[in-house]
Amino acid sequence: MMRSARWAWAGLLPLLIFLLAFEIAPIFKLVASALTADRGISFANFGRAMTPTMTLAFANSMALSFVSALGGTVLGAIVAYAIITSRRSATRNALTALADVTANFGGAPLAFAFIITLGSTGVVTLLLKEVGINLYPAFRIYSIGGLALAYLYFQLPLAVLLMIPALLGLRGELREASTSLGATKSQYWSRVAIPILRPSLLGCFFLLFANAFGAYATAWTLTGSSVNLVTVQIGSLVRGEVQFDPALADAIAALSLLVMMICVAAYQLLVRNNGATGK
Amino acid sequence: MAVVGFFLVFMIVPVVATALFSVSVRWDRSIWPEGLTGQWWVKVTSKSAFKSSLANSLFVSVGTVFLSLVLVAPTAYWVHTRLPRIKPLVELLAILPFGLPGVVLALGLIRLYSGVPLPIINTANILIASYVVITLPFMYRAVMNALEAIDTKTLSEAAQSLGANHWLIFIRVIMPNVSSGVVNGCLLVFSAAFAEFALANLLVGTRFKTFPMYLVEFTRFDARQASALAFMSFVFAWIISLSILWVVGWRGQPTRGAGQEKPT
Repeated sequence: MMRSARWAWAGLLPLLIFLLAFEIAPIFKLVASALTADRGISFANFGRAMTPTMTLAFANSMALSFVSALGGTVLGAIVAYAIITSRRSATRNALTALADVTANFGGAPLAFAFIITLGSTGVVTLLLKEVGINLYPAFRIYSIGGLALAYLYFQLPLAVLLMIPALLGLRGELREASTSLGATKSQYWSRVAIPILRPSLLGCFFLLFANAFGAYATAWTLTGSSVNLVTVQIGSLVRGEVQFDPALADAIAALSLLVMMICVAAYQLLVRNNGATGK
Repeated sequence: MAVVGFFLVFMIVPVVATALFSVSVRWDRSIWPEGLTGQWWVKVTSKSAFKSSLANSLFVSVGTVFLSLVLVAPTAYWVHTRLPRIKPLVELLAILPFGLPGVVLALGLIRLYSGVPLPIINTANILIASYVVITLPFMYRAVMNALEAIDTKTLSEAAQSLGANHWLIFIRVIMPNVSSGVVNGCLLVFSAAFAEFALANLLVGTRFKTFPMYLVEFTRFDARQASALAFMSFVFAWIISLSILWVVGWRGQPTRGAGQEKPT
C-alpha cells in the first residue's frame, strides 16, 4: 500500500519537474529580481518603473484592453444571441464555425490583413474614398485606435464562443414566464436575462481584457514600436533596443503579471459561480 | 440580421482583401486590382528562407505536440485515476499559462537560463519547452475533458481483471477511448505553436527563423509577398480549425474557447 502510494506520486514527477523548470521558476525568478534592489527586498524597481513612458504604456495597454474587451463582449453577446436564435441550423453551424475558425486568426497575419484592408492605400480605404469618405488622416490603422479595431477581430469571435453556452443556458421558460406576467421585452432583458448573464458577461470581459493585455505580435506587426504598450516595452527591453536595465524590465513584467492574474482569477471566480454556463 | 451581416463582413473582408492583394499586379491606386498574377506567390515560395522557416516552424510545432503528448496526457490520466485529490493543484498549474503573456515568459526564461551553460537559450529546444508551457491549458483541458467523459474506473478494472498492467491499460484501453480529445488537444497545440511569434522573436530571434518571423520580416519591405504569406497562414489556421471541428464533431459544443488567443 505504502509502496503503491509512493509510486502514484512518482507518476507526477516528469510534468512537475518540467513545469518547475519552465513555468514556475521563470516566474519566481522574475518576481524575485523585480523585488531585489541593492540591499535585499525592496520596491525600488517598481518605483523606477513609474517613469512617464511606462505609466503611459500601462495606461495605453489598459485603455486598449478595456475598449477591445468591452466592444468584444457586447458585440460578441449580440452576435452569439443572433446565432442561437437564427432559425436554420445550417446558419447556426456556419456562423459558429466561422467564429471557431477566426478565433485562431491573430498575430502577424491578422495585423498585416488590416494594413491591406484599412491602411492608407488599403482596399476598404480606397473603396470608401470612391464613395466620398476619406478615412485618412482622421483615422490611422497604425495608431492605438486602429489597434483596437484589429484586436476586436480576435476578441469578437472569442466572445461569441464564450457567450454561446451561457445564452443557451438562458431557458426559454423564463421569457415566457416574464411575458405572461406582463413584462415588456426591455424589462425582460434588464430585469431577468442580463442579471442571469452578468457573471458570464463579466467573466468574458476579464478573459478578453487579459487576452488583449498580453498580446504582442499584432501590435508589433501593425505599429512597430510606435504605439507605447506594456508588451512592446518589455519586448524592446528584452531585445536590448533601449537602455540596458534588466531590473526595470522585471518590475514591468511583474506588474503586468499582476494585472493578468487579477483578470484570470476574476474570470475563474465569475464563471465557476455560475454553474449553468461553466465550460 | 444586421448583426450577423456586420459580423460576416468584419470577419471576412480582411481575409478576402489579403487573398486578392496577394494575386494582384498592383492595387493601391484604383478601386479594383490592376491585373492578376501569381508572381508574388512564386517569388515568395521560391526563396530558401521560405522553406527553412517553414521547416523550422514544422519542426518546433511537431516537437511541441510530441513533448506535450508525452508529458501531459499520461499525467492527466494518472491524476484522474490515481491521485484525484491533487486534481485542483494540477488544474491550477495547467491554467496558469492563460495568465502568462508570452513576452513575460520569454523575459523570465532569459533571466533564468541566460547565464546557465546548458544548450537551451538561443536554440529550438527552449522554444519547444516554452510552447509546451503556453499550450498546456489546451492539451490538459482536452485530455481531461475526454477522461471525465468516460468511465475510466470500470474500463481499467475490466482490463486489470484480464491481466493488463498500467501501461497496457493506458495505451490499449484508455487512449483509444479518449483519442478524439487527444487529437483535438494536439491540433490546438500544433496551431498555437505554429503561429506563435512573441517567444520565438524574443527567445531566439533571427538565429532560428520561424514562419511567423519570416512573415513579419516581409511586412516591412514587400507588401505583396507578405500578403501571400499572410494568406497562407490564414488558410493554414483555417484547415487546422476545421480539422478540430471535424474531430470534436459539429454537434459538440465548443469545448475550446478560452485561450486560443495565445499566438497573438
